[in-house]
Amino acid sequence: MSGEIRRYARLWARTASMSMQAQLTYRLGSAGFLIGKVVRLVFFFAFVAAVFDHVQTVAGYTLLETALFFLTFNIVDMIAQVFFRGVYNARRTVNEGDFDFYLIQPCSPLLRMVCSSVDALDVITLFPVLAMTAVVLHRLPPLGFARGVLYAALTLNAVALVFAVHVAVAALTVRTQELENAIWIYRDVMFMGRFPVDVYAAPVRWALTFGVPIAVMTSFPAKAFLGLLSPAWIAYAFALSAAALAASLAYWRASVARYTSSSS
Amino acid sequence: MRKCLVTAALTADALTKDYRSPIKEPGLMGGLRGLFDRRYKDTRAVDAVSFSIQEGELVGFLGANGAGKTTTLKMLAGLLTPTSGTARALGHVPWRREAAFQRRLSLVMGQRTQLWWELPAYETFRLNKDIYGLSEQEFRASLDELVDMLDLGAHLSVPVKKLSLGERMRAELAAALLHRPSLLLLDEPTIGLDVIMQKKVREFVRGYNKRTGAAILLTSHNMTDVVELCRRVIVIERGRLLYDGALDALVARYADHKILRARFSGPFDAAGLAALGTVMSAEEGRAALQVPRERVAASAAALLRDFPVADLDVEEVDIDDIVRRLFGGA
Amino acid sequence: MKKYLTAYSIALQETLQRRWTLLMDRVGGFAVVLSLYSFWNVLLGDKATFLGYTRPEMLTYVLIINVLRSFVFTGRGWLLVGEISSGRVSSYLVRPLRYEGYALALDLAQKTVHVGSAFLEIGLLVLIVRGGVFVPRDPAAWALFALAAAMASLIFFFLEFAVSTLAFWTSESGGPLFCFELFLQFAAGAFFPLDVLPEGLRRLLSATPFPYMVYFPARVLLQKIPPQEAVRMLAGESAWLAAAAAVAAAAWNRGLLSYAAEGG
Repeated sequence: MSGEIRRYARLWARTASMSMQAQLTYRLGSAGFLIGKVVRLVFFFAFVAAVFDHVQTVAGYTLLETALFFLTFNIVDMIAQVFFRGVYNARRTVNEGDFDFYLIQPCSPLLRMVCSSVDALDVITLFPVLAMTAVVLHRLPPLGFARGVLYAALTLNAVALVFAVHVAVAALTVRTQELENAIWIYRDVMFMGRFPVDVYAAPVRWALTFGVPIAVMTSFPAKAFLGLLSPAWIAYAFALSAAALAASLAYWRASVARYTSSSS
Repeated sequence: MRKCLVTAALTADALTKDYRSPIKEPGLMGGLRGLFDRRYKDTRAVDAVSFSIQEGELVGFLGANGAGKTTTLKMLAGLLTPTSGTARALGHVPWRREAAFQRRLSLVMGQRTQLWWELPAYETFRLNKDIYGLSEQEFRASLDELVDMLDLGAHLSVPVKKLSLGERMRAELAAALLHRPSLLLLDEPTIGLDVIMQKKVREFVRGYNKRTGAAILLTSHNMTDVVELCRRVIVIERGRLLYDGALDALVARYADHKILRARFSGPFDAAGLAALGTVMSAEEGRAALQVPRERVAASAAALLRDFPVADLDVEEVDIDDIVRRLFGGA
Repeated sequence: MKKYLTAYSIALQETLQRRWTLLMDRVGGFAVVLSLYSFWNVLLGDKATFLGYTRPEMLTYVLIINVLRSFVFTGRGWLLVGEISSGRVSSYLVRPLRYEGYALALDLAQKTVHVGSAFLEIGLLVLIVRGGVFVPRDPAAWALFALAAAMASLIFFFLEFAVSTLAFWTSESGGPLFCFELFLQFAAGAFFPLDVLPEGLRRLLSATPFPYMVYFPARVLLQKIPPQEAVRMLAGESAWLAAAAAVAAAAWNRGLLSYAAEGG
């Protein structure tokens, strides 16, 4: 077992290094994407800061607290982009036949599809976000070590949930081969996670907690840190991730069994 | 218990595969209707195909475009799950995709590449080393041998996108064979290559088969590939097995005649040739005749006796023609 | 003209054929609109206005964003980049049609479907949110809005077209295009009314064509701009349109030259 894990770790490191090398051959393109991402981050920060020129609180949260929600969203989102990048190319992977090779090689096709291309740029942008989060956490009144641990655990739990979503999208792509970019709907819907879930009207909030659980991915960690999440909700978050993982993996296996490969 | 000398590397038993595809109704209204109520049709790509291949055999797999060759190959590689029927490859059910099976299998598709486009092929080789769990030693030995046989040395450090098609195909073969598979499925390995490159690839495939005793199943549009490499062929048409046996026997069955080609030293009676066989051409001191197999000897003798023959050849019918006839074409 | 109509009709069918892609696009866009509205709603709280917008006006602004995202920001930049990089663009060059016209016809087909869907969604939103929407009584406001939006759409088409032609020179024009589109959506006011920005930044942006794409048409429809002022700004917008078209044509022609020089 540990041998297998070591093999996969080595494989991941190798593909990560290969995709970074490949990316470095496209300097102009990479610069464009990097600047685009920074622009998005800066604009949203400017926006949130500008809003607080006009109001004291948003849905009862101060500027610092709102910033924590926004940063948590970014951490989860960026970790997903760094580690689960491959799903963004899922359709191409299937259509150009790379997936055929994944399937005949002795190595989990799921991990290769989802995890085996790493975006160096996202690694670069992740650091300032982590630094800013550290600053915000530090500036907030001291809330205790346990809260910090809970925050970290729920953030990891959120990443697991995001992984489940990516697996489901990968499975959908394998099954239909039609979806232009199923992952983009996730990106758009994730947009809702930039704000604390409390800004939404009750039915939307429910949908975001139970239906499309974006609240669990983005709001729960920050809320737990601020002491606003009861143990029952925390338990729900972990149970949800476990269930989502199980379901998406089952869906993946079913889709691969029905895989039709692309013609020629 | 006595060990069998020859064991089956691959058996297919009534393999069948259906594809489902949406029907696009014509026109804008059809498009709108398809948005809400989509119809599908099932197409049978492979229909109850059975055969068996022994260890060390090199078998050609023939069929027209869309006959189901690639689909069959993909099922045998474990990419596709059949609609019905079974197969065993190296003692495994392919589509269960067990690691022990995958470590001994390789599939090469002439129109697909597993090489990373932007990076030198060597990087993909290293990746495959990790995927197949090869030790540094095994990797080195295997790589050196392949680089030597495929004459790849100078191309290893060049980004794949800068390689010519032939160079890329050879690198592709190397990537596919690093782990020394004992079952090799080749789908159109010479497609798009020039004649010299085709020859190189063929020589390599033959050499690999001889050296390692791997079972090889090869599809090709290029009859030369099949004639030079395979003594046995499997032919399918519209998903059904049409022929399975020796290439020679196939030729004998469908080539019921031979061709006599003569060069003449002087003027000859072109009209008189018709009595000996079907005249294919007769001009400028040369002629070609199609003669039924059983009359070849008599016709040749008559030709030598009654005409000023300077040179005479007896040829088999072109294999391309046979296959074309086999597939019901012109 | 007929050939462009045919292209339009075929593209319309194709958009409808890929129903999952369409549905995903729309659901994603709807999520963005919903979260923007929710955020503004919370900011308004009990106040009568925020940044000078009443609740119905704010809702109308968000709905306009939804329509204009479908009508303005649905270019064919990514496709053009793909067609240039793969060399498929050659197959258009040998035919008796103008590529710009052809691309515009295809673009219009896409816009037709998306705007149609956007109106459906608006109906849905108006039903579920409270507070009502602001509907201008003055037909002049509608006319000016339609004119402003049509020009905005063309400006975007030409600007994106120009950026996409970078693909003639480099295989990595995807990066700049990505960066351009992200920046554009913020600077156009497709996420929030530009009023939220500090004075200096706002003035800087007003010297660019970007605010004409969402912010200006929206304010016209909300009757926040006096008619004479609106007409004056429309003149400014048409100047930008002319400039964008000129830049696109120049970029296209120079791109073709360099393409031909390299032999495709």
